[in-house]
Amino acid sequence: MVGSPVLFIAIPLLAAFIIPLLGMIWKESVRILPGLVLVYLLTLSINLLGYVLDNGPIIEIIAGWTPPWGINLVFSAFSGFLVTLMLFLGLLVWIYSYRFKRNVDFEPAKKYFILLMMLITGSVGIVLTGDIFNQFVFIEIVGISAYALTAFYTGRDSAEASFKYLIMGSLSAGFLLLAIVILYSQLGTLNMADIARNIHTVKPVYKITALIFFIVGLGIEAEMFPLNGWAPDVYSQAPGPVGAAFAGIVVKSGVYAIIRIVYTIFDIEGAFDFLVIIGLITLLFAETAAIKQIRMKRMLAYSSIGQMGLVLVAFGIGTEAGVFAALFLMFNHAIIKSLLFYAGSYLVFNSKEKYINDVSGLGKSMPITSFLFALGAFAIVGLPPFAGFWSKLYFLIAAADSGMIMIIALILIVSIVEIVYYFRVVNKIYFSKKEAHVVPQRPTFNALFSMIVLGLIVIIIGFFPDLITGILHDASRDLMDKTDYINNVLSITH
Amino acid sequence: MEMIHLILIIFLGGAVLTYFAGKVNDILRDALFILSILVPAILFFTNVNPESYIDLSIAGFNMKWGITHFGWIFSLIVLGLGVIVSFYAVSFMKGRDKVGSFYFNFILSIGAMLGILLSQDFVSFFIFWEIMTWSSYLMVVYNGNQVQKIGIKYFVFSAVGAYAMLMAIVITHSITGSFLITDLIAVFPQLSNQMHILIPILFLIGFGVKSAMMPLHVWAPGAYSNTPMAYTSVFSGALSKMGVYGMVLIMITLISHIPEGHWFREVIAWMGAFTAVLGTLWAVAQDDAKKLLAYSSVAQLGYIITGVAIGTELAMLSALFLSILHALFKGTLFMAVGAIEKQTGTSNFTEVSGLIRKMPWTFLASLMAIIALAGIPPLGGFVGKWMLYESLINSNHYILVIMIFFSSTAAFLYCYKFLFGFFLGQEEKEWAHVKEAPALMVVPMIILAAGTFILGAYPGLILSPIDAGMQAIGFEATQGHYWEMSVILNQWGDQVVLQPIVYAIFAIFLFFFLFLFFKSRKNTRYVTTKDISSSGEVPLEHENLTFSQNFFQPFLRAVEPVMRRQIDKYYNEFGRGLEAIFDFGRRIYTGNGQTYAIYVIIFVIILLFFKNNLFG
Repeated sequence: MVGSPVLFIAIPLLAAFIIPLLGMIWKESVRILPGLVLVYLLTLSINLLGYVLDNGPIIEIIAGWTPPWGINLVFSAFSGFLVTLMLFLGLLVWIYSYRFKRNVDFEPAKKYFILLMMLITGSVGIVLTGDIFNQFVFIEIVGISAYALTAFYTGRDSAEASFKYLIMGSLSAGFLLLAIVILYSQLGTLNMADIARNIHTVKPVYKITALIFFIVGLGIEAEMFPLNGWAPDVYSQAPGPVGAAFAGIVVKSGVYAIIRIVYTIFDIEGAFDFLVIIGLITLLFAETAAIKQIRMKRMLAYSSIGQMGLVLVAFGIGTEAGVFAALFLMFNHAIIKSLLFYAGSYLVFNSKEKYINDVSGLGKSMPITSFLFALGAFAIVGLPPFAGFWSKLYFLIAAADSGMIMIIALILIVSIVEIVYYFRVVNKIYFSKKEAHVVPQRPTFNALFSMIVLGLIVIIIGFFPDLITGILHDASRDLMDKTDYINNVLSITH
Repeated sequence: MEMIHLILIIFLGGAVLTYFAGKVNDILRDALFILSILVPAILFFTNVNPESYIDLSIAGFNMKWGITHFGWIFSLIVLGLGVIVSFYAVSFMKGRDKVGSFYFNFILSIGAMLGILLSQDFVSFFIFWEIMTWSSYLMVVYNGNQVQKIGIKYFVFSAVGAYAMLMAIVITHSITGSFLITDLIAVFPQLSNQMHILIPILFLIGFGVKSAMMPLHVWAPGAYSNTPMAYTSVFSGALSKMGVYGMVLIMITLISHIPEGHWFREVIAWMGAFTAVLGTLWAVAQDDAKKLLAYSSVAQLGYIITGVAIGTELAMLSALFLSILHALFKGTLFMAVGAIEKQTGTSNFTEVSGLIRKMPWTFLASLMAIIALAGIPPLGGFVGKWMLYESLINSNHYILVIMIFFSSTAAFLYCYKFLFGFFLGQEEKEWAHVKEAPALMVVPMIILAAGTFILGAYPGLILSPIDAGMQAIGFEATQGHYWEMSVILNQWGDQVVLQPIVYAIFAIFLFFFLFLFFKSRKNTRYVTTKDISSSGEVPLEHENLTFSQNFFQPFLRAVEPVMRRQIDKYYNEFGRGLEAIFDFGRRIYTGNGQTYAIYVIIFVIILLFFKNNLFG
C-alpha cells in the first residue's frame, strides 16, 4: 500500500486553502498546483485500486475511533472505481480549463481552482465515507462550491441559476438531515455499516419515512425527476468545463449516495422497483424535453438528466448484471458527456445566446472539435463500435434477464428520441449554412488535448471493452455483497 | 492471424488510411480505395472456406465468425458489386469535395455488410448491422440537401428496425442464454406461443426496414435518391439485400419449425406483394430518374420478399436468384443515372432527352438492365420472374400472382419512361456538348449488364451455389438439376436448347455494336426528329416534338385513388403528434425556482402518501 484513503480528502482540501497563499508568491502556481494534486491523487487511487482488487477493501479509521463510533473511510472496488473515475475527470477538467480562453485573469482563475478543488474534495468524500453524517457534510461542501461555480460568470442569468440551485440544495439538505435524525433516533448510530446491520429492528414506518427523505434529498443531487428543475439552468449557465464536472463528478456522487442507501443501508425491496419507475419517468421527461430545446447546453443538460434516469433504472434491476450495466453506463456517461460538453462549449463559444442554430456549418472551420462532438453524439446514442454501445447492450441484457420486456421497449423508443436530437445537431454542424454572425473559436491546445483523450477513450473502449469490464465486474460484485461490507467495516479493531 | 480477422482489419484500416491519404495525394487515395475493397474480396474468395468457423470472445460475449454456404451467395453480391462499383466511384467522385469521407463510408459499409454475413452470433451481427447503418446514413446526408428530413428519416427508421432487432436479441438471450443464431433456431420450437409471435415480428421489423417492406419503406425513396449514385448502386443492390438475408436466415428458418408460422408467412407475402404493386405505381409517377429507380427498388424488393415468404424451394430459389439479379441490373441503372447526371448535371426526364447518340454505351448498358428488370427473355429477369410465378401458382396463391403480374407489367411503363426520357426523343441544342462518360464509369456498367445476360443464358451458373446455400439452411436438395424444378427451364432451360436463342440474340447485339462502330467512322446523314418534311409543315427549331411531361397521365389518373393515401403522411402526422406531447414535457420545466421547490414538496407528499404501496 502506497498511501491512505484519507489523502483523497485531505490533500485537495489543503490545496484549496493553499492556492490563494501560493498565488501571492507566484501567480502561475494557482493554475499549476491543482494539476499536480490531481495527478498525484489519480496515481494514488489507481495504485490503491490495484491493491484493493487483490487484497479486499481498505477501511481507514479517522482519529483512532473504531467503528461504529468513529468516522471511517471505505476504499473498496466499488467506491475506489468511482473515485478513480472522478479524479480522472477532474484532471481532464483541469487540463481543459487550464487556459480556457487565451488570456485569463489571475483573480477568476484563483477562485475557479479553489472551488474546483473543493468540489472534488466533497464528491470524493461522499463516495469514500462510511458515515452517514459525514456524507451529509460532504454533500454540503459540494453544494457550496457548486453554487459558487454556477455563478462564476457573475451575470444576471448565472446568478439566477445559482440561486435556484441554492434553494433546491437547501431543501435537499433539510430532508437529508431529517432522515439522518430519524435513523439516529431509532438506532443511535451514524455508521453506515452499523445502521445496515441493525436496520431490521427499526419499525417500518420510521424506516420508510427515512428512506423517502433520503431519496428526496439525494434525488435532488442525482437529478431525479421531478427534483431536477435546477439542472438545466445550472448546466447552461455554468462555464463549459464546470458543466462537464457536474455531469461527470457531482451527479455521480449523488447517484452513489442513493445506491449506497438503497443497496447497503436499507433492506426494503420496494425501493428497487421505485428506482426503476422513477428512473423511467426521469428518462422519459428529460429526453422529451431535450428534443424541444433550442440552446446547446440546455439540450446537453436534459440529455444528461435522461442518462442518469437510465442509470437509476439499471440500478433498480437489482441483479449483479444490472449493477454492472449501471456502472458501465455511469462510466460511459462520464466520458462521453464530458466530451460533448467540452466540444459543445467551443462550438457555441462566441455565440451570445448559445443557440443550437449557431453551430450551423462549423464543421469546416472547426474540423477537430466538430468531429469530436459528432463522435460523442454517435457514442452516446449507443452506436457501435463506440463505447456507448456496450453499456447499452449490457443494460438491455440485464433488463431482459429480469423479464422487463415492456421497459426495454420503452427505453429503446426513448433512445430514438435521443438519436433525433443529437443527429439534428450533428447534421447542422456539417450540412447547414454557416450563420453570418458566428465567429468560430479555435480551442486552446490543452482543451484540444483533453477532448482528444476523451475521444480516444470512446473509440478504444468501443473496440476493446474488455479493458474496463474486469474492474466493473469486481466493483459490482463488491456493491452486491452487503454482509461483506458490514463485516469488513465492523470487524476493524485498529 | 485468422483470415477473417485480416479481411475485416483491411477494411477498417483501409477506410482510415484512404481517408488520410486524401490529405496527401489524390491518386494514392484512389488507389488505396480500390485496393481496400479489392484485396479483401480476393482474400475472401480464395482463402475463406464456407462452414469453417472461428470463435472469439469480446467483453464476455462469445462470438462466432465464419461464412455459411447461404451467406456465401450474398457475399457474392456484396463483394462483387462492391469491387465493380468501386472503380466506377473513383471516376464518379473525381473533382468533388469530401471525397475522403465518401470513400471512408463506402469501404466501411462494404466491410460491415461482409461482417454481417460472417457473423454467426447476434452480438456481432448487430454491431456490423449498426456500422452498416451509420456509414450508409453518412452517405445519405453526403450531399447536404434536406439532411434534416431525409437523413433523419432514414436513421430513425433504421433505428426503429435495429432496436426491434436488438430487443429480439436480448429476449432470445434471456431465454436461451446464448447469442448464437443456431441456438435460437434449435430452441425456437420449444418456446411459448407468445414468443413464437413476438420474436419473429421483432426480427421482421428489423429486416423489413432495411429491405424497405411496405409500411416501413418511406425512408427509401428519399434516401436512395439523395445518396451519390456511385453508392446508391451498392445501397439498393447490396445493402437492402441484407434485409433479405436476415429475413431468410432468421425468419424462414425460425418459422419453418413451428406449425402456426404459416399465417405469418402469408402476411409477409402479402406485404411483399403490396410493396411491389405500390412501389411500381409510384415509380411510374416519378419524373426524376433517381426517384424512379428508388421506387423501382422498393417494388423489386417486394417480389423478393414475397418469394422468401412463400418459402417453398422454388420460391426461395427465385427470390435468391432475383436478389442477385436485382443487384446486377439496379446497380447498372443507378450507375447509368450517375453517369448521365455527371455529364449533363441533371437526372430529370423532363429536362434531358435524346442522349442515345451522345452516350451510346450508357444506353446499351441501361437497355440490357431494363430488359432484365422487365423480365423479358433472354436476360436473367425472365428466369427469376418465371420461377416466382410458378412457385406462387404451385402453392395456390392466385391473387398474389395477379398482383405480382400486374406490378411486373406496370413496370414496363417506367422502364419505357426511363429509356425514352433519357435516350430517345428530340436532341436539344442544350445538350449538344454532352459526351460519353469516362471509360472507368462505362466499363463497370457494361460488366454488370453483361452479367444479367450471362445469367439469363446460363442460370445454372448461379442456381448451383444458391442450391448449395439453401441446403445449408435446411431445404431439400434439388438433385443437382436446378432447372428441372421449373416448367420453363425444364423444356427450354437445358443449356443445349436455349443456346441457339441466346446466340441469336447475341448476334443482334453484335450487329448493334458493329453499327455503332461504323457509325462513328462514316459520316452518315441522320434523319433527325425535326426532319419530317413529308408532312408538309416543317417545324421550327424551338418546337418540341417529343414530350416528356405528364407521361402516362391517363394511367396515373386511373390509379390515383390508390396513390393518394401516402403512408408517409401518417408518419408525419404521428411525428407531429409526438412533438406536441414532447412540448408538454418541456413545459414542466418552467424555469421558476419556486415551482421547482413546490415540485419537491409535492413529490415528498406523494411518496409519503403512497409509502405503503411503494415500499411496504
